[in-house]
Amino acid sequence: MEVFIQQCINALTLGGLYALIALGYTMVYGVIQLINFAHGEFFAAGGYIGVLLLGVMTAMGLMESAPWMCLGVSLLLTMLYCAFLAMGVERIAYKPLRKQTRLAALISALGMSIFLSNGMMLARGPLDQPYPLEYSSGGFEFGLITINNLQIVIWVLTAVLLVALNLLVFRSRIGMAMRAVAQDKVMSALVAINTNRIIALTFAIGAGLAAAAGIMVGLYYGSVRYDMGFVPGIKAFAAAVLGGIGNITGAMIGGLIIGAVEVFGAAYISGEYKDVFAFIILIAVLYFKPTGIMGENIDDTRV
Amino acid sequence: MIRELRKIWKSCFIGLLWFLALLWPMTGINSDGTLTFARPLEIWLIVVVAAVVIMLIYSANKSGMLAPFTRPVQTAAGGLAGQAARLPIWVWLLVALGLAMFYPVIFTSRPAHDVAINVLIYISLGLGLNIVIGLAGMLDLGYIAFYGVGAYTYALLNVYLGFSFWTALPFAALFAAIAGCIIGYPTLRMRGDYLAIVTLAFGEIVRLILNNWMELTNGPNGVLGIDRPTMLVPTFDDGFGFEVISLRKLYMLYYVALALAVFTMLCVYRLNYSRIGRAWEAIREDETAAELMGVNTFLLKLLAYAMGAVFAGLAGAFFAGRMKFVSPESFTFLESAMVLCMVVLGGMASIPGIILGAAALVLMQEWFREFETYRMLVFGGCMVLMMLFRPAGLIPARRMGRRSEDDE
Amino acid sequence: MKKMKRSVGVVAVLAVALMSGAATAETLKIGMMGPLTGPYAADGNDIANGVRVAIEVINEAGGIEGFDTIELITQDTACDPKQAVAAANNLINDEVVGVVGAYCSSSTIPASETLAEEDILMLTPASTNEMVTDRGLPYMFRVCGRDDDQAPAAVRFMKEALGAKTVFIVDDKTTYSQGLADGVAASSKEMGLEVLAHEHVNQGDKDFSAILTKAKAAAPDVLYMSLQNHSSGSLMAIQANRMGLDAAILSQDAMFHPNFINVAKEAAEGVYVTFGYTDESTEAYKQFADKFSAQYGDIGAYAIYAYDAATVLLNGIKQAGSTDPAKIKEAIMAMDFQGASKQIKFNEKGDSGSSYIAFKIENGEYRPYWHPETGYYQ
Repeated sequence: MEVFIQQCINALTLGGLYALIALGYTMVYGVIQLINFAHGEFFAAGGYIGVLLLGVMTAMGLMESAPWMCLGVSLLLTMLYCAFLAMGVERIAYKPLRKQTRLAALISALGMSIFLSNGMMLARGPLDQPYPLEYSSGGFEFGLITINNLQIVIWVLTAVLLVALNLLVFRSRIGMAMRAVAQDKVMSALVAINTNRIIALTFAIGAGLAAAAGIMVGLYYGSVRYDMGFVPGIKAFAAAVLGGIGNITGAMIGGLIIGAVEVFGAAYISGEYKDVFAFIILIAVLYFKPTGIMGENIDDTRV
Repeated sequence: MIRELRKIWKSCFIGLLWFLALLWPMTGINSDGTLTFARPLEIWLIVVVAAVVIMLIYSANKSGMLAPFTRPVQTAAGGLAGQAARLPIWVWLLVALGLAMFYPVIFTSRPAHDVAINVLIYISLGLGLNIVIGLAGMLDLGYIAFYGVGAYTYALLNVYLGFSFWTALPFAALFAAIAGCIIGYPTLRMRGDYLAIVTLAFGEIVRLILNNWMELTNGPNGVLGIDRPTMLVPTFDDGFGFEVISLRKLYMLYYVALALAVFTMLCVYRLNYSRIGRAWEAIREDETAAELMGVNTFLLKLLAYAMGAVFAGLAGAFFAGRMKFVSPESFTFLESAMVLCMVVLGGMASIPGIILGAAALVLMQEWFREFETYRMLVFGGCMVLMMLFRPAGLIPARRMGRRSEDDE
Repeated sequence: MKKMKRSVGVVAVLAVALMSGAATAETLKIGMMGPLTGPYAADGNDIANGVRVAIEVINEAGGIEGFDTIELITQDTACDPKQAVAAANNLINDEVVGVVGAYCSSSTIPASETLAEEDILMLTPASTNEMVTDRGLPYMFRVCGRDDDQAPAAVRFMKEALGAKTVFIVDDKTTYSQGLADGVAASSKEMGLEVLAHEHVNQGDKDFSAILTKAKAAAPDVLYMSLQNHSSGSLMAIQANRMGLDAAILSQDAMFHPNFINVAKEAAEGVYVTFGYTDESTEAYKQFADKFSAQYGDIGAYAIYAYDAATVLLNGIKQAGSTDPAKIKEAIMAMDFQGASKQIKFNEKGDSGSSYIAFKIENGEYRPYWHPETGYYQ
């Protein structure tokens, strides 16, 4: 029983991390229907900038006195950095292709992903960059069960971002503009929405979320590496699609499901096939409900 | 004109500042928290100089200052193109085939043969994927799985049951086609990006099974000691007879690869202009309309997957025979992405385009070997630039509309 | 960075013109292949640098008769079988006499098949999988140890030094890591150590919480961590530490890397690794270490083996007095000398014996801890 509860905690943490990355994926997809392969690289860049900023603060001697404040500050700065990065990438690699086929933009995204991850390798070297482990050292223990401080931070952060995003999209003017652009770019331009700016903003928000996820992953697992974005990127994409791509709550649910399938698959069936289980669940769900768990009926919106 | 140029210069300037803002934190902060300014500035200045040079050339060209140099070149190129267009197409085909036939004679080094074989394998793969993506219009991110199925089919049949390359070939095609149907069936209801992730997931599943099914595939160790393709050669030693020789030399394998690629080209060409090909294109342009016109979309989409898989399976079997070794590492998502790039870069649904795309990507990787660590960086950058300047591919297909799904 | 930029390191020699009056200007070409890019780039560059040092040492000792210069041609495999074969073909084209490499067993095996077609010698400094030399290729040699020697050494260490009764094995499904884990499982059975479970994860996984929770519930004496590279290893060590796993952690040569300790920090303390024993007091080691660290800094795990592999190859050519592979093989088989890493003598398979000992990580350093023959170190 205790083992089962521990596995549930593991699943919730992994799922939360996937959900964090998937939120950004789904935001971007929801607005311009582009599979942004470079999203995983924004996530990795967030991990790097986060650890570098923490390093600067350690050198300045701030870490001793207020470690959590340092984390907060570097989180914000990192999100800002990744937002700028994403806006730059969008301007160069995606915006000129908006009138082209979706495949052209997809290849461009793939190229950008390869470019960015190798750029990071050249900048920071091929070895893992260590993260400070102090944040994840404290925790609670109940018998065999351990809950880490950082796990709680991850859960809280995911929940807060989920609520904030939902408020942003459904309760603010910007969110209304985003939904309008998602539905029809020409019409929204006619009602005086600056579509280019809204799309850039969406990229910025999505990358900001990826940056937050990058720092969390770095802190939780203790290191970052230039190619760390690729596999979680694919998993998060799967999570976003599973939940119904373009749907924020769906991305959260999808992330949790993928995380749970992986952890329980590894724990109770077989560790080497856990990714296979996750992908089979994805395919099964999409077979019976081709637009994902929370997705609306495709034929009404598309054709 | 001047205003336009000023605008471009301005955005270039902003872009460079933006780049500096992104570059500095990545390269300027040391791991121990200290700051450096020399290295990021050095990189940035190189980029600035490059950007300014490119912009100067661009501006000069726009304002007509380069006309004395470019005009003669343009007229000459136009003249050549006109001359070329007058020759009938079969002359060109003959020249291309002749060049391909004598390639190993002209280039005798091993790396040249190696690269040529790679190009031919990728041509087969690209043309196979073209059926799914270019003709039927279904995005497939797990195409390399069929290549893996073909490779392992030959490897296992050869190692366990002693099949020769040529007897195993139909089986490789058959198993790949079955795998294509298995993957195709559940995806038939999906469209667009849902299809993308499901095919990607299938590709990963196949790779993971190859990596984990120890009893059958020997897992990560791969299958060793696969026989090379053999050939019956007439001998006149004691009377007339046939002798089985193993194709050990690379140039012999080159001809097998060439035969495979030419076979694939012929098939895809014929398919393209057959009833099936036109039905596929109808599905690509508008699935609902095609169905209303009486096209059996279910069967044809499944057939597209199966046909695409067959060519990948054949290429895979050849790959296994050439390497004498297969391991799951050769069938990762990145390989799928690479084949997809060849198709899109070359021009979807365009056979010469895909041939050019395959050759360009393989050669690009080889040339960039010199850059070593910069290789993949340049490669990724080139992919983006290619899409920006030729989004329809190097040689766009003539019959290509816009998919209804693309118009939101 | 500057050093890495040049793929072809041309080592110029002061011509020993006095000795070889009749000889024309000849260049001896030897090849090196390994992962110069990608996640294993650090090890690949160590190997290349080790070979460079060996060439330098040979040149200082008078070079090789009949050749004016020794040229090293390096090729990147990126640990990908297809690229490894391409690299082998490039080296064949450059007409190298012998090749030092590759790093990953899954690259070495297909590359050696290609090199064997042209009878080119290959000496691997790092591929420990049994199949590298068990295929019966005539010109394949191995300077490092074999997995099927490392596994029994690891089990003996667990039983004798740690007094363990139960072990929990995890591997990440690569040729190297799984082969070793299977070996440990098999010899555990032989030596009466109970294997509680043998779990697999996939290479590139980051989250091992599910497996480690199982391990914690099983409460083994030792967690045997068989992973392809130190990056996964540090992830697992951190998570095991955080989960409060009581078992001792034992791992293998891939964890013998400074960055394992850099990343895992406190979590790395007390981790044991098995690795080839190098007597740092021998003349050969000192000669190598002085030269290497003066030029390339820290001595990576495989630089020593690469140095020895290149030394064997070059001395083989020197003693054979020709580039005929059969004669060089004869010379190599007759060798029995103290290399920088260990005493080197090849058996008929092409193996040179293993000398695994256990290291313990203490205060951020690898400290020799236990030797199968002589017991604990002080």
